[in-house]
Amino acid sequence: MKRKLIVITALMFVMPMVVQADAISQLQADYQAKGAGPFSAAAGEALWNKPFKDAKSGKERRCTTCHTTDLTQAGKHLRTGKVIEPMAPSANPKRLTKIKKIKKWFVRNCKWTLGRECTAQEKGDLLAFLKSL
Amino acid sequence: MQTQTEENPVAEITQARIWNIPVRLFHWMLVSCFITAWLTRDDRYLDIHLFAGYLMAALILFRLLWGVIGGPYARFGDFAFGWREAWGYTKMALKGCPPRFIGHNPAGSWGIYLLLGLGSLIAITGLLALGGEEGHGPLAGLLNRPQGALAHDLHELLAWVMLGAVAVHLLGVLVESILHRENLIGSMITGYKSVPPGTVSATASRPVAAFMLVATIAAGFSWFYGYLVETPEQPYRPFIGQQLPDNALWREECGACHLAFHPSLLPARSWRVMMQQQASHFGEDLFLEQDAIDEITTFMADNAAEQELTEAAWKINQSIPETETPLRITETQYWIDKHSEISMQIWESPKVNGKVNCAACHLDADDGTFEDAAMRIPVEEDQSSTVLFNEMFQKAARYFSFNSAPPNRLDDKG
Ligand code: HEC
Ligand code: HEC
Ligand code: HEC
Repeated sequence: MKRKLIVITALMFVMPMVVQADAISQLQADYQAKGAGPFSAAAGEALWNKPFKDAKSGKERRCTTCHTTDLTQAGKHLRTGKVIEPMAPSANPKRLTKIKKIKKWFVRNCKWTLGRECTAQEKGDLLAFLKSL
Repeated sequence: MQTQTEENPVAEITQARIWNIPVRLFHWMLVSCFITAWLTRDDRYLDIHLFAGYLMAALILFRLLWGVIGGPYARFGDFAFGWREAWGYTKMALKGCPPRFIGHNPAGSWGIYLLLGLGSLIAITGLLALGGEEGHGPLAGLLNRPQGALAHDLHELLAWVMLGAVAVHLLGVLVESILHRENLIGSMITGYKSVPPGTVSATASRPVAAFMLVATIAAGFSWFYGYLVETPEQPYRPFIGQQLPDNALWREECGACHLAFHPSLLPARSWRVMMQQQASHFGEDLFLEQDAIDEITTFMADNAAEQELTEAAWKINQSIPETETPLRITETQYWIDKHSEISMQIWESPKVNGKVNCAACHLDADDGTFEDAAMRIPVEEDQSSTVLFNEMFQKAARYFSFNSAPPNRLDDKG
């Protein structure tokens, strides 16, 4: 009984770490469960660089507007000028480690850039691309 | 001391040292401090302004001591004239025939006492303002903010009075130089005057002068040392404000797209409205859940501008009419006044990228303290000279219009 408790407590500590370390796989698995996949980094890269026309301002918007094309470099928020830390996990290990954060920014940034939410397929592709950097 | 001599063109004339080196050093260093303090009266240069002020106070203290032990012509006893004598001398001067004094004349000595007194009062009111408004310096906390602001007003008023006294002093020097056909300014540089034979001359007092110079240089070095060792990543901040309350959720949610603007920068009613409208936040949807909204709103309301956590909080809040609920810090009167001198060219430069990017200029924007002398306007390498030139030009233009316009403290209160 005691040993079981210890194992469970230990698991309770380890589990979240494992999940955190692999937030990307977890999310991709979720997307797959919704019928998307397989995911391609090339498709993700294409979407990352694709221009969309903003209905209101008529200006072009892309993910790179704020995150820049070189993802190992810091970007800059278009409207506020704030520095955005590099997106590539290789340059910024804190990137893409929290599921909640990724989900929230996908909603925000897809709406801002594409004018709509991204599909599960698109999000899986984007993660495949970002993960590979 | 025989100071008064009859004009006698036939008498032999010799040269004698009248002003010893400490007196001359004191004089010209005081002049430099006064000019420096005028030019650095903007918050941006408060550290330089303070150095000039402290040095001025130290010089005046030294002069008081030197007035007792400083030898002939420097001792107060040698120019302790009553007001009758000063007035008598002035009347003679107005008639165009003032008697000649080797040392300070009676009217001039009253000018000296006046300038020393004004300088002391300016130093004291400056320290009171620094302690009351900014919470820095040896008198920190002695006065509250409104009292500190009053001391600040007095400080500026006294500085104007002193400027007037300096003008009268210069006029006196000019008149006396012309009437006696002697170069008094030159004497304050070389120390020598043409005198009748037998006149007592002052000793040079080189060791004391050397001590003054070494002490000033050492003080300057330790005061500005931070600038010598700063790096681009760790710029030197002369003033570190007290640490402000923080909240992790607020920092994460409100610090991603822009600086996490500290709650002390707007009143609670502004934050409440902003959080209610979080789904249309300046054209963005913040997608905050209700419990996050509640936690952030509470934190912000608890530390809002009304709490007067910083000087900026106090002044921003004062500048907002009760009936208004601004959603932008950059639309409050205090903010507008403080940034009115920054040109469009700078706001639009890529390194600044608009008014909202406080951290481009304020080294302590992240802490929310917005201390004085913690702002640096970034300039692009290729156009730095033109921007700097523009800035200098605007400064000069402002300086000349300043004499007719009220001092900028009045604007501060919005
Ligand atoms: C208007 C500016 C802007 C645009 C355009 C933008 N982003 Fe972002 N993005 C941000 C900001 C700000 C953050 C939060 C940065 C931080 O945490 O340092 C962010 C964060 C993210 C994150 C979360 C990173 C993490 O560490 O979890 C992802 C994923 C992301 N963006 C993807 C995208 C994608 C995909 C696009 C294009 C569809 C895009 N962004 C376009 C501003 C933008
Ligand atoms: C999704 C990005 C984003 C997030 C997250 C965000 N803001 Fe903003 N905020 C903006 C934009 C864009 C502006 C307008 C910038 C401009 O004027 O160009 C702005 C402007 C502001 C301003 C006005 C600045 C001024 O003085 O002009 C305040 C205050 C502000 N935000 C507070 C907050 C607070 C508090 C939060 C957290 C609850 C928050 N913001 C979260 C994007 C964001
Ligand atoms: C382009 C550079 C720049 C930007 C961007 C900027 N400031 Fe300033 N700010 C200055 C300068 C320069 C001064 C000093 C003005 C003076 O000397 O009177 C100043 C003064 C201030 C002061 C008064 C400080 C004091 O103690 O007297 C406050 C408060 C302040 N800024 C807040 C802000 C906030 C909040 C933002 C962002 C919304 C911001 N500033 C953006 C340059 C900037």
